[in-house]
Amino acid sequence: MSSASLNVEIRRIRDLAPGIREFSLSRTDGDDFPVYSGGSHIVLSLPLGERTHRNPYSLLGDPTDRKTWRVAVRKQEDSRGGSRWLHEQAREGMRIDIAAPVNLFALNRLGRRHILVAGGIGITPILSQARELARLGADFEVHYAYRAPEYGVFVDELEALAPGRIHHYVQSRREQIEFSSLLAGRPLGTHFYICGPGGMVAASMNAGKALGWPESHLHSEQFLAPTGGEPFDVKLTASGKAFTVPSDLSLLEAIEQQGVDAPYLCRGGACGQCELEVVDASGELIHHDLYLSAEERASGKKIMPCVSRLKGGCLTLNL
Amino acid sequence: MSTPAIKSQPIYAELEWDRTGTHHILFVSAEDAALAQRLLSNPPGGTLTVVHLRPADDSRSAWSQNLPDTALYLETHTLAEALEVLRDAFYVAQMGTRIYLAGAEDAIWQASQLADTFGVSRDEIRHAQLGTKARPVFCVHCRTITRGVHTNIVSCSGCGRSLFVRDHFSRRLGAYMGFQIDAEVPGEVPAAEVVYP
Ligand code: FES
Repeated sequence: MSSASLNVEIRRIRDLAPGIREFSLSRTDGDDFPVYSGGSHIVLSLPLGERTHRNPYSLLGDPTDRKTWRVAVRKQEDSRGGSRWLHEQAREGMRIDIAAPVNLFALNRLGRRHILVAGGIGITPILSQARELARLGADFEVHYAYRAPEYGVFVDELEALAPGRIHHYVQSRREQIEFSSLLAGRPLGTHFYICGPGGMVAASMNAGKALGWPESHLHSEQFLAPTGGEPFDVKLTASGKAFTVPSDLSLLEAIEQQGVDAPYLCRGGACGQCELEVVDASGELIHHDLYLSAEERASGKKIMPCVSRLKGGCLTLNL
Repeated sequence: MSTPAIKSQPIYAELEWDRTGTHHILFVSAEDAALAQRLLSNPPGGTLTVVHLRPADDSRSAWSQNLPDTALYLETHTLAEALEVLRDAFYVAQMGTRIYLAGAEDAIWQASQLADTFGVSRDEIRHAQLGTKARPVFCVHCRTITRGVHTNIVSCSGCGRSLFVRDHFSRRLGAYMGFQIDAEVPGEVPAAEVVYP
């Protein structure tokens, strides 16, 4: 387990767009939620058959709303079940556990101007950041790219937060964000934040670096959904367990299923929290994370079990 | 996130251009012919603005010679004027700018505080100590900063207490901490020695 868990009830389900649903959650013990910071995410524990599936989702509501937390979920057709369960099985009134918020995508409060960019469902952390900036009276603008007009979820809420400072890019109209011009000529003290698909994030980071932006001003969030893969065997040296990771579970999930406590925060290959030491690997490590450096990968000594796997053979971990 | 204060003396690395930047602002307030030669003979790509604080005599300075043709050279004669010019430079500066502050600690840390107000982060700024080692000293009792201190003990320009000058440096204040030396036995003040030439 990671941070403290809370039991919540699904109070309301709203269909926002084809394949995008919003869930409003309240605590079952009647207490207030803690206040969180813009950009935070929670991890939902979803009851898929006899096992629990933990998926991270960004909180998108007002960070100071202590009664209701909201998340929006896009149905991932190729997912191993988490988002599909939320779209097909979840009902209002159901109770689930969530882990308290963690922020890996925080605003820099010393910034003098903030450029927020969202691609598709990446709007969710951007929305809570925009709310926080609006409350602080900060100077910010939002650039929001989506597939077609009906996919522009939350545009009214955004418009209300920053009238005239929301820019739309609709793919079906062949509009797209030109990062080199978006990032050029910005005053000192500007911060850039992006959440969206991998290719879009990479394009923006490259444009920023080419213009001389320092890393401290380029912020991105990108969660990878764990992909399945071939089954492989695992041995844990400290806890003395030996088991097989089935094709539809991540390594982290399989470890948790053994009752072994493993650390995590993002469950999406981004934060580095879940890093485990590889004692031995008879097979090829398939790294899917965004965290390890090329040298670390090459060393074969580390793995991020939330998204990465072994191809063939047996993996021995120090856990 | 706030910038934590450096708890001890700053360590200054050899000043080098950060060539990942696309604009460069150099503030310099002391002579160092070798450094000037090394930096200016191999300037970074992109624009370069030099804000030079120099004495008002007509002596030649290594910082005004060998400047690349494209550099914008701004000459100033007092620290106040230099900081004003620097403020203007920051005001029009764009993301991609790297800032280099070279000179006495008093000057470069005042310039650094100015950069902080523009939201400049640590990976955008470099500091180098040149010339006098005199320290700005912050009196922890009356909060006055006494400038140009060469000795290990100094009388505070605000409250007159005898302050012992510590190595603890606050980046936020741009000064070293000074504590009353005769707090235990009033009047017992050892002789001050010049330790910061
Ligand atoms: S939990 Fe964040 S990288 Fe695995």
